[in-house]
Amino acid sequence: MEKMKLKMLYADIKSDIEIIENELEQALNSSSHILNNASIYLLQGGGKRIRPVFVLLSAKFGDYNIERMKNIAVPLELIHMGSLVHDDVIDDSDMRRGRETVKSQYNNRVAMYTGNFIFGKALQYVTDIEDPRVHRILAETMVELVNGEVIQIEDKFRLDQHLKDYFRRIKRKTALLIESSCELGAVVSGADEKTIRHLKRYGYFVGMSFQIVDDILDFTATDKQLGKPAGSDLLQGNVTLPILLMKDDPMLAPYLEKVASHGLTEQERLEMLALVRKSTAIKEATKISNLYLQKALREVEALPNHPMKKKLRDIALYMGKRKS
Amino acid sequence: MSATSITQAINTLQSNILQHVHHRALLQNVGQPTLQQEQLFFIQFPFLNETPMNDEQMKSAVAVGVVHASLLEHENVKETESTSKQQQLTVLSGDYYSGRYYQILAHTGNIALIQKLSQGIVERCEHQVRIYEQSHTLEDWIDSLTVIESKLIEQFYVVYNFTTYIELMKQSLTVIRLQKELNTLQQGQSGFLYKAFLLDGQAFSRDALIEALQQQIQQRNEQLQELLNNTKIDEELKQTIAQLIAI
Repeated sequence: MEKMKLKMLYADIKSDIEIIENELEQALNSSSHILNNASIYLLQGGGKRIRPVFVLLSAKFGDYNIERMKNIAVPLELIHMGSLVHDDVIDDSDMRRGRETVKSQYNNRVAMYTGNFIFGKALQYVTDIEDPRVHRILAETMVELVNGEVIQIEDKFRLDQHLKDYFRRIKRKTALLIESSCELGAVVSGADEKTIRHLKRYGYFVGMSFQIVDDILDFTATDKQLGKPAGSDLLQGNVTLPILLMKDDPMLAPYLEKVASHGLTEQERLEMLALVRKSTAIKEATKISNLYLQKALREVEALPNHPMKKKLRDIALYMGKRKS
Repeated sequence: MSATSITQAINTLQSNILQHVHHRALLQNVGQPTLQQEQLFFIQFPFLNETPMNDEQMKSAVAVGVVHASLLEHENVKETESTSKQQQLTVLSGDYYSGRYYQILAHTGNIALIQKLSQGIVERCEHQVRIYEQSHTLEDWIDSLTVIESKLIEQFYVVYNFTTYIELMKQSLTVIRLQKELNTLQQGQSGFLYKAFLLDGQAFSRDALIEALQQQIQQRNEQLQELLNNTKIDEELKQTIAQLIAI
């Protein structure tokens, strides 16, 4: 259902997304059969391809040319894919989106090589663009993405953190790559500076809203919808917005203590989930996500008139309201 | 060229690299990146033999060292203790260095080197993963080691038109690596080659591999000597190569 909604939203750029999909396949072609298999397996796992979509939609505000745009849309998706492969090593995850991870199929070392191979391919691809500004933005994004993850590890099981710590973390972890997708789409297509700025800010706000929704869904969606046990973020020590909003709830305290010391039993996990779901934290977190969404919509309003404005609005609303 | 100035050049590159990858949290938890002397030497080798590096070339040299450190860091990722903070930050250290090299070159606008190095990374990964692929010969594995050790520097030489030094650099780094593999085996431990044969299920005893490696090193050393004799190289640089090989 969710996938169908998304496909409808992509309808206007469907053929171009198919071009990107084919390019991704070609980009990951390797002389090593392990890297080939791992890459094909990753591609088959799908994903929403939201980064390429944001690149292409943003590029519509400039001089749109798919042949040029694929040189930035493909690397952005590859960087996202490569970081997921390494994330699964960091989180020791065997499953992602209901499928086995590369590290589970092979081992940690192969996952490291696969991720590095994908990063290498991404940069090889993007060097078809000569504008140094594009490279500076992308490089900055890559470094900040890692910084976000380092902070996430440092903040693990830290309940004394502030909301601003959480926002700083998700900005780097998620919002930045969406922000850069919009910015780079606009820069590469030669859009004017004012438009680039609005699209960049739009991407940032959508990204923030998207990650908050993701963090809410980790508690409210089912194990099946998530493809992993609900509450996994907290079980791994990641303190996300719903927990930060109810961390002083005495009912939750014993669960938080156990998570930090020796983990939760299955029964305790279900009790903790029930507690979070019926709390006001989910509503409050949703409200905050909606605030970001409203800001994103305001940025769309400020853009020059273009049929794609409606698409940007619809996608922001879809991402901010999705159920899985 | 004196021995002191060669050591100084290696130390300068090393401290420049460390400066460019400084990260408080990573330093605290994972420590400094591993920088190999032979890599630091060969990155600069043509410049030491001809004209000293300018600022832009030094930044490029730093980037090459950073990529190498990035890929070496990921060699420290273990199959056990997967969720330890140390392991998690080891993954991220490598990723951080990888982003930093790109950032350094993006700021100098050296897109050609970004292109060449990323191509080198791809090729190197393809050879690193070969350890898990089957049915290779000793020659194949050694070819892989050559790529792992020298590809990034080769790409760097290509960008700066130092192609005449490529063969010498490749041979030297291969011999150094083989010597390290041999030392590891003789100490009763397992290096890349031994693991490769074990994973491949090939019957190659430790002693047989030691013998085969000794032969390979001797052959390649002779080829290297010939190369050194036929290339116009500063005597002190030749001495340094000899010292690096005699590990």
